[in-house]
Amino acid sequence: MDSCPHCNCFAPDTTCALGNMELSQCPEWKGAAPEVTTLDTEKDDILLPWTGSALGLTDLSFVTGRAKPIIVGIAGPESAGKTTLLASWYLLLARSLLTDKAWQFGGSFSLEGWEAVASALRWAPGQPPSFPPHTSSRGARAPGLLHVAFRQENEQLRDFLFADAPGEWFQRWAIDANAEDAEGARWIAQHADVLLLAADRQALSGSRLGAARNAFQLLATRVAAERRGRPVALVWTKADVSIAPEMEERIRQAVTSVMPDAAEFSVSIFPEGTGNTGVGFQELFRWILGTRRPSVQLPSAAPSGNDPLFVFGRR
Amino acid sequence: MSVKQQSILVIGESNVGKTHYGAQLLKRLIVGDCALRMAGAASNLKPFEKAMDSLAEGMATEHTPATTYVESVWPIADASGRSGSLIWPDYGGEQVRNLIAQRKVPGQWRDRVLSATDWVLLIRLHTIRSTDDMFSRPIATLGKANAEEAHHQVSDQSKLIELLQMLLYVAGLDRDARRNTPSLTVLLTCWDELGVKGNPQEVMREQLPMLFSFIDSTWREPAVFGLSALEKPLSQNDPDQEYAIRGPEQFGFVILADGTRIEDITVPIQRLLADEDVV
Repeated sequence: MDSCPHCNCFAPDTTCALGNMELSQCPEWKGAAPEVTTLDTEKDDILLPWTGSALGLTDLSFVTGRAKPIIVGIAGPESAGKTTLLASWYLLLARSLLTDKAWQFGGSFSLEGWEAVASALRWAPGQPPSFPPHTSSRGARAPGLLHVAFRQENEQLRDFLFADAPGEWFQRWAIDANAEDAEGARWIAQHADVLLLAADRQALSGSRLGAARNAFQLLATRVAAERRGRPVALVWTKADVSIAPEMEERIRQAVTSVMPDAAEFSVSIFPEGTGNTGVGFQELFRWILGTRRPSVQLPSAAPSGNDPLFVFGRR
Repeated sequence: MSVKQQSILVIGESNVGKTHYGAQLLKRLIVGDCALRMAGAASNLKPFEKAMDSLAEGMATEHTPATTYVESVWPIADASGRSGSLIWPDYGGEQVRNLIAQRKVPGQWRDRVLSATDWVLLIRLHTIRSTDDMFSRPIATLGKANAEEAHHQVSDQSKLIELLQMLLYVAGLDRDARRNTPSLTVLLTCWDELGVKGNPQEVMREQLPMLFSFIDSTWREPAVFGLSALEKPLSQNDPDQEYAIRGPEQFGFVILADGTRIEDITVPIQRLLADEDVV
């Protein structure tokens, strides 16, 4: 069936946006007279408002409808391990090792998205785990968002969204805040409630360590300028790789000099000793769960008399 | 005392034993030496006729056709005089698989979900795949990233969570607080083939940790039972003599939450009738 070409009109599903009782009298309407719809059993199907893949801006409203979720943005250069971080969290979640009883897994509307991210770290028949594939940018305006909900001990359900963003965005954004192809990074900077800064120990000890250090310092400065008081954590990824102490100090300083309250974590998927949870993932996740949005401080009203009815009367 | 109508939504993929449990439950109700018995005659026994016939001879019944969905209404009563009518469905498990795969819920399924007072989720742990990952089975070095996105399989655990989320959405239930109604009972079917000891909750928590957390955080009082409707594997064409002689109602057991084994397989359903009365 034809629909109305007018941008704000959804006729014939709704009545004419211009107020014409008869569609045929509307100057905008070009379609044929609406047919009588027959109830088809196939059309009786109920489609779901979520697809299971990472959420985009369109289906986001389904999650944000009940309350604003906590959005966690992970900023860092390419192959710093941002996707591996997400994958590790999901694998731990799937074995109920990520959180304790105080934060119980309460569902996710992007399970397939999480599975896709985590699949590389799983053992497939005849295939050992590998690094997750590079997150491609495709010039999107916003990152894919992975959703997960946790129920707290007080029965409250809190939604969290994790942004799976490609590293290029941040590299460009660090250099030019208004770069055309850094739209996604700006989106994260604007909407994230918690920002993680990934410092790639492998790159910082590799052959191009100078460039890596420089890129990180620029990114840290940019994040500091845009954070508006939000919690930030410095996350050392690939913690199993050792780097020069001088370098470590420089990087830490790049963060703490501009964001003295930044938390610091180290993560690695290679376990220390016999552990089966990797290193640092649980600690970092619990820190994220514990972060709070700054709340509104109401000014206190001093009473001006003894009469409780007129406590707030004029002075 | 008012007559309660318990409409049960049995949720289970193919091959988890929906028909076998239905037939065995019905047989117990008719024979009537269990916590729950038939008070009158069932409206229609046809859906389970074939399964009951096969079991009486000691044979497993055939696969229920994919498109079938039939409900039969059973008037039931328990020892303390509570009565109700139980609406028990039988259907081909492919329908549940299709719900997950096609991500859409047919209109009839919505009506079923909406009218159900209790949900019974059947899981056969033996058929659930669990894959090792980087953490459960670490390796020293990771392989190179695959350039093209390799085809990945969604884990069974997350499929079941998605299924429950879909049904909750279709039933129009919000996620804000833990749910009392509809109640959720998880039956871990074919318990005999698992060869485990211990209570069903622990077994489920161990094998499906994320699903268990989800259920525990979504329902106020989810119940988990181990169930073996047949007690031993039966073949489809080779009759089991013991079955034929003693009768199928002498077989089957339920593992209660504390790990004790009882022969009365009507208990998980009888509990629903009792629960409803308290409210």
